[in-house]
Amino acid sequence: MFEELALGGLLFSPLVVFAPLAFVISFVTRQILHVSGLYQRIWKVAWFEVALYICYLALVVYLFGR
Amino acid sequence: MGKLLRVAITLAVVVVAIIAGRWVWDHYLYSPWTRDGRIRANIITIAPDVSGWVNSVDVQDNQQVHKGDLLFSVDATRYQAALVELQAQLQSKQYAWDLANHKYERRKQLTGREAISEEDLETARINTEQAKAAFQLAQAELNTARINLQRTVIHAPDDGSIINLTLRPGNYVHQGTAVLSLVQTGSLYVTGYFEETKLPLIHVGQKAKVSLMSGGKPLIGTVTSIGKAIADTNVSSNGQLLPQIQQTFNWVRLAQRIPVDIQLDKIPNDINLSAGMTVSIFLQDK
Repeated sequence: MFEELALGGLLFSPLVVFAPLAFVISFVTRQILHVSGLYQRIWKVAWFEVALYICYLALVVYLFGR
Repeated sequence: MGKLLRVAITLAVVVVAIIAGRWVWDHYLYSPWTRDGRIRANIITIAPDVSGWVNSVDVQDNQQVHKGDLLFSVDATRYQAALVELQAQLQSKQYAWDLANHKYERRKQLTGREAISEEDLETARINTEQAKAAFQLAQAELNTARINLQRTVIHAPDDGSIINLTLRPGNYVHQGTAVLSLVQTGSLYVTGYFEETKLPLIHVGQKAKVSLMSGGKPLIGTVTSIGKAIADTNVSSNGQLLPQIQQTFNWVRLAQRIPVDIQLDKIPNDINLSAGMTVSIFLQDK
């Protein structure tokens, strides 16, 4: 359980960590898709990537932020 | 891979993202948690029951006291003098009553011989009753004086810690004016101020996780009550008794915060809790 982030006496929402974490995961996924060649075959890549990022963010929040 | 499948995969991911995004939104906006919680305790304010100057203060700031411990004493000279005075007065009333009674007894014997009138006898009887009442009054006053004398020493009404002791020997204290306060031992609890939008998710008996601002292991508590009223700033009036209505925006509304009391299940010994500390509270979802 992870509720708040203290940086130099300032408190931040855990989203400050969760959002980059989700970004890193989606970046890795993107690289994997790229290498495996599936990337070219996705319909509307931009939609897919944004949606995937939100899914990852929700997953991270579910795992660490509850 | 068919075109249909490619479209379906993207759409499926989008749909899942919408559901997941909605869940994250709700989680942050509506899950019952607040950062606006405070540790609270039962505070007993102690006021002397008699006026006078303080002779001695027998406690120190933040000292732990037990029920019945001597806290401070007010100068008793005046109350002792009053006691002696009233004792003398009681004796005087006693003699007055004796005398009246004696006169009445004597006159009772005279009536048979028609030496005094019926009225004289009645007067004597009433005089006796009056002297008796005066005696009882003096007795009551003496009792009051005794209570006053007893109350010149102030004892702790309960176990607790002395807070913000500024009382010094020589200070003049007034009857009924509080001079020090006591935090009752074991009375620490938590009040969380939850936004009204989160209230539907809060109910009595819910488990709460209380995190101190200083960190450490969170404490566990139980919701005991939800506040039934907070002040409405619109009901105050100005000098002409006109209502002072706050101007607000139509589309931006701030949620009011409602106090919710939480009883701590167990306070670990190694944690030093003080009333007024800031805590974050997370209620367990049901």
